[in-house]
Amino acid sequence: MFLRLVADSFGRRPRHKLLTGAALALGMGVATAALSVSLDVGDRLAKEFRGLGANLLVTPQADSLPLEIGGVDYRPVNAGAYLPEADLPKLKTIFWRNNVIAFSPVLEVRVASWTPQYSPASATFVKPATNGDSVLIGTWSNHSVSLPDGRGFLTGLEQTSPWWRVEGSWFQDGAGECIVGKAFAERNGVIVGSPLYLATSSSEGRSLKVTGIFTSGGSEDKAVVTSLSIVQQYVGKPGQYRKLYVSALTKPEDDFGRRNPKTMTPAEFERWSCSPYVSSIAYSMEQVLPGADVRVVRRVAEGEGQILTRVRMLLWLVTGAALLAAALAVGASSAASVIERRTEIGLMKALGAGSGTVGFLLAAEQLLLAFVGGGAGYALGIILARLLGERIFGAAPQPSLIVFLVIIALGTGVTLLGSAIPLRRASRYEPAPILRGE
Amino acid sequence: MAALPSGNRAMFWRIIRRLLGANRGRLFVMLLALGAGAAVTAALLNLQVDAKRRLTTEFRALGANVIVAPRATSDTAARGETLPESDYQLVPSIPINMGGKAASLFVLAEAKSFGSARSIPAVVVGTREEGDAANRIRFSWQLSASVSHTESNCWIGRNVASQLRVNTGERVFLKAAEREETCHIWAIVDSGEAEDNQIEVNLESAQRLAGLPGRISLIQVSVPGTPKTVQRYIDDLQKQIPAADVHGIRQFTEGEAKIYNRISGLLTATIGIVLLLTALCVMAAMTNVAMERKMDVGLMKAIGGSIRRVLRLFLAEAALLGLAGGMIGAAAGIFLSIGLGKAVFGVAARPRLIVYPVAVALTVTVAIISAYPLRRLAGIRPASVFRGEA
Repeated sequence: MFLRLVADSFGRRPRHKLLTGAALALGMGVATAALSVSLDVGDRLAKEFRGLGANLLVTPQADSLPLEIGGVDYRPVNAGAYLPEADLPKLKTIFWRNNVIAFSPVLEVRVASWTPQYSPASATFVKPATNGDSVLIGTWSNHSVSLPDGRGFLTGLEQTSPWWRVEGSWFQDGAGECIVGKAFAERNGVIVGSPLYLATSSSEGRSLKVTGIFTSGGSEDKAVVTSLSIVQQYVGKPGQYRKLYVSALTKPEDDFGRRNPKTMTPAEFERWSCSPYVSSIAYSMEQVLPGADVRVVRRVAEGEGQILTRVRMLLWLVTGAALLAAALAVGASSAASVIERRTEIGLMKALGAGSGTVGFLLAAEQLLLAFVGGGAGYALGIILARLLGERIFGAAPQPSLIVFLVIIALGTGVTLLGSAIPLRRASRYEPAPILRGE
Repeated sequence: MAALPSGNRAMFWRIIRRLLGANRGRLFVMLLALGAGAAVTAALLNLQVDAKRRLTTEFRALGANVIVAPRATSDTAARGETLPESDYQLVPSIPINMGGKAASLFVLAEAKSFGSARSIPAVVVGTREEGDAANRIRFSWQLSASVSHTESNCWIGRNVASQLRVNTGERVFLKAAEREETCHIWAIVDSGEAEDNQIEVNLESAQRLAGLPGRISLIQVSVPGTPKTVQRYIDDLQKQIPAADVHGIRQFTEGEAKIYNRISGLLTATIGIVLLLTALCVMAAMTNVAMERKMDVGLMKAIGGSIRRVLRLFLAEAALLGLAGGMIGAAAGIFLSIGLGKAVFGVAARPRLIVYPVAVALTVTVAIISAYPLRRLAGIRPASVFRGEA
């Protein structure tokens, strides 16, 4: 009988039920979309922020003071310490290895450069006066690091400095190729494809093929960039580097993250090292790179943290607003659907139904609506979230079970709450005046 | 309506009053739905404009994004290239708290702590700053700070401090060629970048030390605004200072542009969808309420009301409700957004007056559209309504 009453109610007024259900579905749809996007946005934006480049810088602990002005180090060549390149695969073995998304070691040397000129008199290429000092930067480009577990990891400057723009192509690792900065190219009249001779004061010069001209917007525009192994030969430090740029996905630092790990209790330290704070990643990197000093690039890390925190809060607020609006609209609509059934309630009571039975019947109807509407809304919201995610980040958020549960719970709660108030009033109705239409 | 005799008009309003007053629960539900919709609309509209503007300011946490440097000349000695200090005056001032500008001069000098014979070479940077140019959050990087000596303060990088074995409050002697300067260590800086290896003094000291009065090495500017604004700023500045090379720091301008576009797209899309679906939800709720007006329509038709007049009555009722709900809701929404702005950005969002009428108008429109299904009631036969058939 109970089921028949419910079924009858749906069958008799399909339009009404459809409208209430649609309101529910729409409301829950917005809520789902907003929730899914908000849950997902932190990770996506953190990846986006890696466009700002490295947030960790590794230098030798025992280094002498770098005397760097405008990208040129004025230290004598033999001054300062170096770090072994062989340690680098260990970076992908630390606890936060999946957060380390790219790294590139750097070794710099000051060189004299010239392009050969054809002398018509002797019909040979001759060396003109050198173009003076410039900086040769050795680093990785699309370099495959073989990890201890046998897999390969492709990384290099393209990943740690994604804002570099190269006309032509990047140099091949170890192929005797180089790319030159735009300012360098303009000054020295270097074009793509031409050979470039480079020599240091201590080593014999050799020729590199220019494969591209890059702009970085920084001091590198005046330099030449080639593969690390070539610069190691120039400096006479095989397998060594001087600076390492690391780009890692991090969680914005809060007050806890900023604390000094040395003053923490073991339990706190455990919690600290199990959160991907930039400082705890730096700490675990220091463990595997002996003799290295891992520094957090504050400008990038803190700027990122501040912006991410704000944006996340903003999105949660928008989500909150969406949830609130959806809840109110759904509540109002289910309240309305109870109010309009006063006559029916009056009739049921006149036939001897108690307030409890009536309430239960109506609540069951509303619950059914909430499940159907909420489910449809969830599906709608997931589609919406996909569209949004794909348009904005190029990747759809994963549908999550938590969102589904939250949505169903919210839908049920709001619907019941919305109908509870009119139901309470309905339970006090005297059947006679209602049936008389008063 | 102006054509109606005054008696008719009085009757019109009387009916409206009765319609509204007849069922308080129903009135409340409708006002709640409309008000909530209006509040969310107003809050989000107000926040959206404000949040985008604030975001561009937030990006200044990343520091300078534009650099004015000497043009690379054919002789490459980077050290010798300087700009006249007057170029610094040509860079327009940035409103306070929104960014800033800074002029720097780099000098290679010998640094020595007080009472020690050993001196080490270090890079000395002379800076004159206006607003938060170089690094807005630099104060959070200071390891320790001491009393300020107004004349000769200096910040020193943590690596310099550890090599010189000095602490805050002590003095450092700087020497380049035969020129000497002294400064009081005000703070020790830990930035993770070049600042860790530098000593920062005021611009005049560095100029005296370098023997280059009135010269600077470069100007850093932290320009707030959307990617387009920043590019326009760079182009304008290049025209102002044709002798120098003005360019964006690609690392930041490009990264910022990408992130800004993502976030603002996200915000616009989310808010757009929320607004649209809020309207739909309100409409669904309202339509439900409107449908129960069948009895009234039937009665009015039975006693001779023309369809148009009856419809006009209900539309007027809906419009009135929309207006009331909208006015209350939008006001609440604007206050809400002020609070939200404060919670997110620490600064109250400035209420935009244009948002208020827009939100109210939207609510009234939604209310009228939701009452529109009543049109279908025009075809109703009064008798069947009363018999309870329709």
